Amino acid sequence: MPPRLPRLLIAWAILLVLLGIEFGASFLPLAPWPRVLILLPALAMAAIVGVVFMEVGRGPVVARGFAVAGLFWLLVLLGLGSMDPLTRTDYHTTVAHPE
Amino acid sequence: MSDAYVPHEFQYSSADHQAGTAVAGMWLFLATEVLFFGGLFLCWIYARTQNLAGFDAAASETELWIGTLNTGILLTSSLVYSTGVAFARVGDNRRLVQCCLGAIGLGLAFLVLKFGLEWSDDFAKHLWPVGPDFKFTGPIAGGARLFYVFYFIGTGLHGVHMVVGVFLVAMIAWRARRGEFSPAYTTPVEVVGMYWSFVDVVWIILYPLIYLIGRS
Repeated sequence: MPPRLPRLLIAWAILLVLLGIEFGASFLPLAPWPRVLILLPALAMAAIVGVVFMEVGRGPVVARGFAVAGLFWLLVLLGLGSMDPLTRTDYHTTVAHPE
Repeated sequence: MSDAYVPHEFQYSSADHQAGTAVAGMWLFLATEVLFFGGLFLCWIYARTQNLAGFDAAASETELWIGTLNTGILLTSSLVYSTGVAFARVGDNRRLVQCCLGAIGLGLAFLVLKFGLEWSDDFAKHLWPVGPDFKFTGPIAGGARLFYVFYFIGTGLHGVHMVVGVFLVAMIAWRARRGEFSPAYTTPVEVVGMYWSFVDVVWIILYPLIYLIGRS
């Protein structure tokens, strides 16, 4: 048996538990915006897959650099892109109809 | 690494150098894929923020059991393929082929559930967001249309990546059957595994965005 197999099985079991947690959390009577917290188990799952299944720590240093750069630019994309929708205030105006 | 000589291309100093370059190249490609799907996730943030009622009403129409089952299927397929990588490292090509076939079977099961069953059901329920037959009407119709634009583009793009992944895993199975891999040479097996698990990661994020967060 490959020495890595128990580690893979443990990671898979944890992933299924986290899937169950986020599935169960979706039935909680949360307000629309706190419901975004349901993403937290998903982020943990993504991290586990990246570390255990994709073995981000195994490759050369430059590979880890690419992985970190991808996440960094994703944060820039989502952070800067979210500034407008999360901070915008819509003011209702009366449209003047031409006579 | 075994002491056996492993051939490598002339531009690399060693087989290890060539393998490391391949792994780094795949991570660079995956970084571009992160930004590709990142734009899609940004669309979700923008559209839900501006159209909360319609967006969440539309999300409640999705087939939760199919999405959840498909998530479990993809997590298991990543486990099965990663097990194949572990067998490849100890030189067991026969087990590697079996793991590849298992991962392909799970991938195809995902595609059948997603596109054969769920999309068909969505069309039958008039959830295709283009045209006059759309299920939602009134003030929430615009937000609901935006949700289903996100849904069909997101799941469609992910499905294309799944199909590519199935072909790549099939190629690994074919090469393993020919005995091309050894404990000293598993680079293609590992690089395809990274892609296969990345497609899993994309679904792990899509699953709550589509099926869970809007289901209040």
